[in-house]
Amino acid sequence: MTRSENFTKYILAGLTGLIVAALYAPIVLTIFYSFYKSRKGKIDWSSFSYEPYTKLIFERQILESLMNSIYVGIVTVICSVIIGFYFANYYHTSKSKMKELLQFIIFLPFLLPPIITGLSLLIFFREINLPRSLNTVVIGHTIFVLAIVFKIILNKLETLKPSLMESAYDLGASKWQAFYYVLLPNIKLSLIIAGLLAFTISLDETLITLFLIGNDTTWPIKLWAKMRVGFSKQVNASVTLILILTSLLVLLIASIISRSEKKIMY
Amino acid sequence: MNLISNYFNTSIWTIVSFILVIFLILIPLASFLSYSFFTVDGTDIIREFSLFNFKEFFVDEIYIRTFVRTIFLAIIVMTCCIILGYPVAFFLARYAGRYKYAILLMLIIPLFMSYIIKIYMMRSILGYSGLINKVLAMLGLIEKPLEFFLWNQNSVIITLVIILLPLIIIPTFTSLDKIPKNIIEASFDLGCKPFQAFKYIIFPISFPGLVVGSIFVFILALGDFVTPQLVGGTSGFTYGKIIYSNFGMAFNWPFGAALASVLLFVSVIIILLTNYLTKRLNR
Repeated sequence: MTRSENFTKYILAGLTGLIVAALYAPIVLTIFYSFYKSRKGKIDWSSFSYEPYTKLIFERQILESLMNSIYVGIVTVICSVIIGFYFANYYHTSKSKMKELLQFIIFLPFLLPPIITGLSLLIFFREINLPRSLNTVVIGHTIFVLAIVFKIILNKLETLKPSLMESAYDLGASKWQAFYYVLLPNIKLSLIIAGLLAFTISLDETLITLFLIGNDTTWPIKLWAKMRVGFSKQVNASVTLILILTSLLVLLIASIISRSEKKIMY
Repeated sequence: MNLISNYFNTSIWTIVSFILVIFLILIPLASFLSYSFFTVDGTDIIREFSLFNFKEFFVDEIYIRTFVRTIFLAIIVMTCCIILGYPVAFFLARYAGRYKYAILLMLIIPLFMSYIIKIYMMRSILGYSGLINKVLAMLGLIEKPLEFFLWNQNSVIITLVIILLPLIIIPTFTSLDKIPKNIIEASFDLGCKPFQAFKYIIFPISFPGLVVGSIFVFILALGDFVTPQLVGGTSGFTYGKIIYSNFGMAFNWPFGAALASVLLFVSVIIILLTNYLTKRLNR
């Protein structure tokens, strides 16, 4: 390595460090404020306490919005993985030209600004007289994450050999058996990855949800509403807990991906 | 393969899925587009074809001006993300060695972390008595707190860059990571200077990834309405915020739909254009 290249390397490393710091600054600050108080912009170092975390149990509204978010996330995962699987399977096996168009349509809500997806669903629900509720939020989240789920499952299906299913049928498996005992174990990991990713995205989706939410609130919407009055320490505590949850989910996804990549080598 | 397709394609679920896509993606888009031709009278929506909303958009210059300004804002955000994100992706792919995936993961995690919280906390970082001002004051660099960080366009730009930066790093890294080391070594053997190797080999290969990331950043910055609402103040409002206010307080859905359809039109053109360009580059 030449001297000038060494120099560039350190400059770039420094920049990367700065950017990691900048990306984490808002998050670290939130965690910090859940433990410490600040008065008039000065931090009171003696005020450390984890009381907000225990007090969180009494914050009915925050807990309720968290439960709503988890409900929406789980239903979104179920819907998007099932629909995503059928689309991926159709795309993989069909020879018709329609499938390109289909892929384009599925990708629309993902590629367009979220505001467009949100308000078009809002207008549609009003036209068919469907009152806004958590279920309309589920619909919005499902079509938003569908493109990602579809792509992950499709990528996995494309690595499978056609002979796999054929031999299952040759050995006398019924359609359901071939699916359950042969196809499903092979694509299981991609379904899990897609589901976890869908859940993580749904948990934090704000822009589409703002249009589709009814009287119940999900967690990001609760934060949005609380913002006008400023955050209490309990809010910061709930944020910290969710941050831990999402980081764990992302790490879980990453470890599953790296493990399944190793498996392919055998 | 036919056997699987026989089973799944004729299955009732496939048909159901098709109907779902049409009902949940295409019809909503169509109904939103048709709303843009309606008008309001008080709180009633008049369902007759009219170009009134679009006339309003072009006549009242505040809308066009805001739209153009928002496009510029999105371009600035995109440029900042490229300037900051490309070197990081380059560093990861070329110098970070066995730590590259770990660092990449560190850069991805914030993407999934609460969007609202990030914006909210940017207020206490950029604000009058915020982190930046305090650090600068502590270092003795400034006497009075700086004010150009909060409640204006700058704060919207900074916040959006912080939020959207990972989106440009990931695809750029993926395409940089694919470049085999021996190609670069070969170019050095053939007498390339480092900058030439970058210009003629590394950059062209990484370009499609960079474009994909840039478009994501651009479109998300263009349509964002929460960031300007929370950190933008009065001078930092964007086109997305105007659209959203028509669905909230102003309660003029048809006009909001018309404004959004302009946004849709521009986004679709940009997506198609990028698609075309990357296909041509790949050839």
